[in-house]
Amino acid sequence: MDPSLDLSKLSDADKADLQQQLANEQQKATIQQTVHSLNETCFKKCTSAKSFSSGTLDRTEEACAANCVDRWMDSQLLILQKLGSMRQ
Amino acid sequence: MSFLGGGSSSKSNEDIKTALLQQVQQEQAMNNARALIGKINENCFDACVPAPGASLSAKENACMSSCMQKYINMWNTVSRSYMHRMNEERKKMGGDVAGLSM
Repeated sequence: MDPSLDLSKLSDADKADLQQQLANEQQKATIQQTVHSLNETCFKKCTSAKSFSSGTLDRTEEACAANCVDRWMDSQLLILQKLGSMRQ
Repeated sequence: MSFLGGGSSSKSNEDIKTALLQQVQQEQAMNNARALIGKINENCFDACVPAPGASLSAKENACMSSCMQKYINMWNTVSRSYMHRMNEERKKMGGDVAGLSM
């Protein structure tokens, strides 16, 4: 850590502001991690080694990827819903 | 550094905040790149090199490079779809993530 970054000099308002911005960064990092694992899942489902003669996504793969994300989200929400109703 | 601050080497509060945020963002970009590289190698090696020989064949080489491009292209598609869907879901719940761009 850069020693000239002395956080103790910051006012409370600045600290709160910084905390908010760091929380945003944290959220972005979490989203990126989810995208990494989701992309791996969808890559396995939507492409096959036979298609690796080209680096661009063909129309089927593109559509498959979009569906994959949406159905994954559906499943995620479904699980949350079911768990919620189980608790009652 | 001057005793009462204000010297050329002392930073204003705004500078400190910007510098810290930049550092965090840089580290995040590094982590993101590292994660992507790891995933690409894992998945493409799996698909393109089923039986590792003494060296990468021309065919394996070509497969790796297409696979890598395809993986990155799909990452961008998946990321876009995911952000889009997240925003839709959040709108339904009354919030939004307008301030969060990737």
